[in-house]
Amino acid sequence: MNAKLAVSSLDKRFDALEALRAIDLAVAPGEFISLVGPSGCGKTTFLRIIAGLEPATAGRVMIDGKPVTKPGGDRGFVFQNDNLLPWRTVLGNAMIGPEIAGRADAAAQRRTLELLKLVGLEGFEAYHPRQLSGGMRQRVNLARALAVDPDILLMDEPFSALDAQTREIMQTELMRIWEQGRKTVLFVTHQIDEAVFLSDRVLVFARRPGRVQETVEVTLPRPRALAVKRTPEFVAYVDRIWRLIEDDVRASVIEERG
Amino acid sequence: MTATASEHDRTAAAPRPAAYGLLAALRRNHLAGLLSIAIGLALWEVLSRFVVANPLFLAAPSQIVGAIFSLGETGELWRHIGISGLEFVIGYAIAAVLGIALGLAMASSALTKQVSQPWISGLYATPTIALAPLFILWFGIGVWSKVLVVILLVLFPVTINTEAGLRTTSPRLIEMLRSFGATPRQIFLKVSLPSATPFILAGLKLGIGRGLIAVVVAELFGSRAGLGRLISQSADAFNMPELFAGVVVLAASGIAMTAGFGWLERKLVPWTQD
Repeated sequence: MNAKLAVSSLDKRFDALEALRAIDLAVAPGEFISLVGPSGCGKTTFLRIIAGLEPATAGRVMIDGKPVTKPGGDRGFVFQNDNLLPWRTVLGNAMIGPEIAGRADAAAQRRTLELLKLVGLEGFEAYHPRQLSGGMRQRVNLARALAVDPDILLMDEPFSALDAQTREIMQTELMRIWEQGRKTVLFVTHQIDEAVFLSDRVLVFARRPGRVQETVEVTLPRPRALAVKRTPEFVAYVDRIWRLIEDDVRASVIEERG
Repeated sequence: MTATASEHDRTAAAPRPAAYGLLAALRRNHLAGLLSIAIGLALWEVLSRFVVANPLFLAAPSQIVGAIFSLGETGELWRHIGISGLEFVIGYAIAAVLGIALGLAMASSALTKQVSQPWISGLYATPTIALAPLFILWFGIGVWSKVLVVILLVLFPVTINTEAGLRTTSPRLIEMLRSFGATPRQIFLKVSLPSATPFILAGLKLGIGRGLIAVVVAELFGSRAGLGRLISQSADAFNMPELFAGVVVLAASGIAMTAGFGWLERKLVPWTQD
């Protein structure tokens, strides 16, 4: 396999705290991978290292065979909090990436307008963030990351602040958008059903130190409709991952008591 | 799929119930404020004409208006306003530019901040206006000693607010920009500066009142012309209508400039208005 993203023996320490130990991962182009695990297992730190926002203590991150040292236009980051600039319009926010790259020309604006349409924000281009609902703000967040046309989309619990129904809608929206562009996606989430619904593979993280405990391949056929969540196969995946995490939580509780 | 704009719709078309009568009308048209001013002026008029009834102690609003008109006719009022206005504008402009520059320097360099912080905090807390006689001694009785007092009073709130605004820029927004590979210069121009703008404007707004006080008090200590001079010579002559005329002109200009700033804020930083 010619990996789009290759991570080898990655370690991360924050002083005495060992956040990540010996992470190995190879991601094929167009693959959708989710990272689940208990709080504090380092999955967000892992995403930030791949984004180039945080240096690794040891090990390597390679994209297309080239080592990652800093943020770049080949990756788009979708933040947990939308981090929209309140003084900019929807279009102005979505254009920030091309602007920073120094190519905010008419063509980039046309493409960004297309993306806003793709994420369902047609007609809202001139609105300001304070005029939008939480779901709409996350759509801008996604469009902003897509506007630099990245090969890899890094998503850090983007739907966690949304209510349950909006979250389900956003999951199907993300699936639809992903089917069209087939970006490589790393998706961090606390919701196991979200991870199973979206992913080709789910990496189950364990804590102390943060490491990949198990990789679960999800072979449910695509495209997936929301109804797939009620099938026995889907429930079996969720159940299996739940038990993996449950064990880890129980183990950590015993460890703390001892 | 349809994206909902429920929050927007709610703010755009908040339906108003039918009038509750006079109270509702008052509230809706901000008439209560105007009414309060009108009643206050009427009470003042009655008090000064029939209760105090001594023009050496209190002038009635009608007498003050008369004094403003007669001072305006002779051209004396305009001369005083011109001098005070000049002192204010020069001092305020210099203080604004210097204050923002100093705030930027403090926010961008830890050393600059450490060096200047104790001085700025100290001078901001000191009633530096008491130094006005000293400046008059140094720079003479003319315009420049007053300009210096204005600078000294306006500079520090602008500096402190500029620095605070830049320092409190959301780290999350900075990180968002960093994820796109932004340079420090781009981060400054696209995030730090816009998010500090409301703070800078608030500092400049604070400077208006302080600048007006600086002009008047410095003129009281010694001057040939200006509204402070008008007030002090009226006080010496027990001419209460002219004294109040000076105060009213100052108050009106303060209110007008502050209102102008409110308008500027709605134009420049509308996202802080909610």
